[in-house]
Amino acid sequence: MTSKMGALVDVTRCIGCESCKVACSLYNGLKPEQMQESKTTPASENVELAVSRWTVVQSHKFEKNGEQIRRFVKRQCFHCQEPACASACFAKAMQKTPAGPVVYNENLCVGCRYCMIACPFEVLKFEWDKPFPRVLKCQMCPDRIEEGQMPACASVCPTGAITFGEREKLVEEAKKRLAEKPNFYVNHIYGLKEVGGTSWLYISDVPFGELGFRTDAPEKALPEYTWEVLKWTPAIFVGWGAILTGLYLYNKRRAAAHDEEEMYAPVDPD
Amino acid sequence: MKDGASGPDNNSVTRRSFLKMASSMGLLAGLTGALAGCDDKNPKHPGGNGWLPNQYNAAGNFPAQVRGRVPIDLDNPSIMRDNQKCVLCGQCLETCENIESVYGYYSLPIVDETICIHCGQCSMACPTEAISERDDTDKVFKALDDQNKFVLVQTAPATRVALGEEFGLPPGAWVQGQQVAALRRLGFDAVLDTNFTADLTIMEEGTELIKRIKGEVKMPLPQFTSCSPGWIKFCEYFYPDLLPNMSSCKSPQQMFGALAKTYYAKARGIDPASIVSVSIMPCTAKKFECNRPEMNDSGYKDVDYVLTTRELARMIKKNKIDFTSLPEEKYDPIMGEETGGAVIFGATGGVMEAAARAAYFLITGQEPPALFLNLTPVRGLDGVKEAAVDIPGVGTLRVAVCHGMANGRKVLDAVRTGKAPWHFVEFMTCPGGCIAGGGQPRTAVPPTDAIREQRLASLYKADASLPKRKSYENAEVAALYQNFLEHPMSELAEELLHTEYHSRANKLHPLLFKAV
Repeated sequence: MTSKMGALVDVTRCIGCESCKVACSLYNGLKPEQMQESKTTPASENVELAVSRWTVVQSHKFEKNGEQIRRFVKRQCFHCQEPACASACFAKAMQKTPAGPVVYNENLCVGCRYCMIACPFEVLKFEWDKPFPRVLKCQMCPDRIEEGQMPACASVCPTGAITFGEREKLVEEAKKRLAEKPNFYVNHIYGLKEVGGTSWLYISDVPFGELGFRTDAPEKALPEYTWEVLKWTPAIFVGWGAILTGLYLYNKRRAAAHDEEEMYAPVDPD
Repeated sequence: MKDGASGPDNNSVTRRSFLKMASSMGLLAGLTGALAGCDDKNPKHPGGNGWLPNQYNAAGNFPAQVRGRVPIDLDNPSIMRDNQKCVLCGQCLETCENIESVYGYYSLPIVDETICIHCGQCSMACPTEAISERDDTDKVFKALDDQNKFVLVQTAPATRVALGEEFGLPPGAWVQGQQVAALRRLGFDAVLDTNFTADLTIMEEGTELIKRIKGEVKMPLPQFTSCSPGWIKFCEYFYPDLLPNMSSCKSPQQMFGALAKTYYAKARGIDPASIVSVSIMPCTAKKFECNRPEMNDSGYKDVDYVLTTRELARMIKKNKIDFTSLPEEKYDPIMGEETGGAVIFGATGGVMEAAARAAYFLITGQEPPALFLNLTPVRGLDGVKEAAVDIPGVGTLRVAVCHGMANGRKVLDAVRTGKAPWHFVEFMTCPGGCIAGGGQPRTAVPPTDAIREQRLASLYKADASLPKRKSYENAEVAALYQNFLEHPMSELAEELLHTEYHSRANKLHPLLFKAV
């Protein structure tokens, strides 16, 4: 299923104010960061997603054309077009909605954590310290999208680093920006083809590998890989049964024939 | 059943039948639960049970109202933020953009640092105190506990009209004496006054101005004041081509720091290495300034720690000192004398007024007329103020005063295009000057002109009541020149009291007009 809505993150426009992170905590009622933590873990290279941090802003410093530069990258669930987590979930707790978000239904979840293993970007986090743990990640504010509003993070961005809209139009917009400044941007829209396409798209002026993105992500949707094998399941199931049945029948017949032979074999005169 | 051999009664519950019943009920319950869950008509997803300010709850993408907040880096020496308190009201961004014209005046992407002039006005506008000054009180408490350290403190002109507000006194209450007493009770070994170096700044800056006007130094006019560290960083970022106009004088705080570890240490016979120099400032940018690489001319770090007015109030409260019942005490000698010219450094236009008084004397050798003691055109809260005063010998001295960097831009653009008729321009980063600095008590949030006016009135009242109102009358400054520096802009003065600032243009791509 391909989704309608998506978001485009322009890495070059982010100033690292972390409004998106605060908006996410406010709107989703996430456990407020501890006082100490909220002062000591602003944008940095190694701040990771967590149960109470569905989106983070990572900071990366490096050299470009002999000049020290710094870039901020907002990270959250990519909301894949064909999500591996939903494919791995036998309880249908992870589902891709028609509007775009990959939403987790905690009432269906059995806590097997297959989705966490399936996710190519390791965005799913487990409530290890809870008696009834959930698997948490960015939900892309499905209620707000339903009401025609932007997700919380996109609505507060002061610089326009996050653009929310129909994914098709965002792809066009991204291509337009790349075409306008071909020497500035890296000619790549991250999320256009990665793992079969994602609802969140990124463009940047530095290679994505240096920003901590997976560069080895295949272009094929991950569920397709399993489908290549799993599509043989009915055939194998029926075929293997047929083979075994055939073998059984054959052996039975042979054994019967053999028994008969033995029975009617001439008895040694001695 | 009494007959054990015949087995248990069919009606009683045996262990076997109980277990069978329990397991089947468990199965039934599990099945029911699973089916009920599968038939979930209202899937419950996590999140979405919180809240966002109303300005963000609108369909569509049109950015109708202010959004987000200012970026503050983890290693910002002046201010920090607490994500837990932030409600994304956007007031910090409004302040940064409209009053200081910093945010929105550089193009994206950023280069390698978060653009900040450390003025702290965002911390004054923040309704939840999510943005606050970086707290250095622990370091100062530690220094005070160390018996081997000689901890001296200087207090800025503007803190004495605002500190009382932290203790329930009316805005603008004059608490100079109580402040000195409180600092003594906190354990500072010497309580000295930044007003002393404010007078010194006037002598140095006035001399420099006269040299520029007379052409003795080949530097352009108008000369810019260099007392406000936020303004200096602003100029380095956005108007690096005008840095030659900047007075080479350090700010009064840094002059004080350089002299404390040389002149004062020598006069008192103290090892400068054992001196911890603390300053009480109305300003968060001073925390940045004291860490600048240019500010180590005494051979040590000139000023070790800067505390804002709010932090001092916190220290006083922590030590349970009853501030309002303290007696009025006097500053310690050698670097503790003040004149009216120094007191009004805390007000917008004050530096200019004090400089005009001194310039008249330095040029003519005569006492300035009464006009110079009440230079009303440069007083008040207008964004840009101009004045022209006649000084025999050089003609008309044209000056301008501006506060808030958005107003500063107007003046700077005029200077850049060569349309500036002025000889001397005063820049203050904060609206109203230091009395409304980013480290002052948050008596009104956002800060109001009513409170600014009360603090200003208090400063001018003190100026009018002082016996000495002109910087050159400061006897301790005269003694400093006699015993140590010889004369204004001497070689030693140049080394200790003057510096040079460098462009930061490579840290951002400036925009002349605000990005929409």
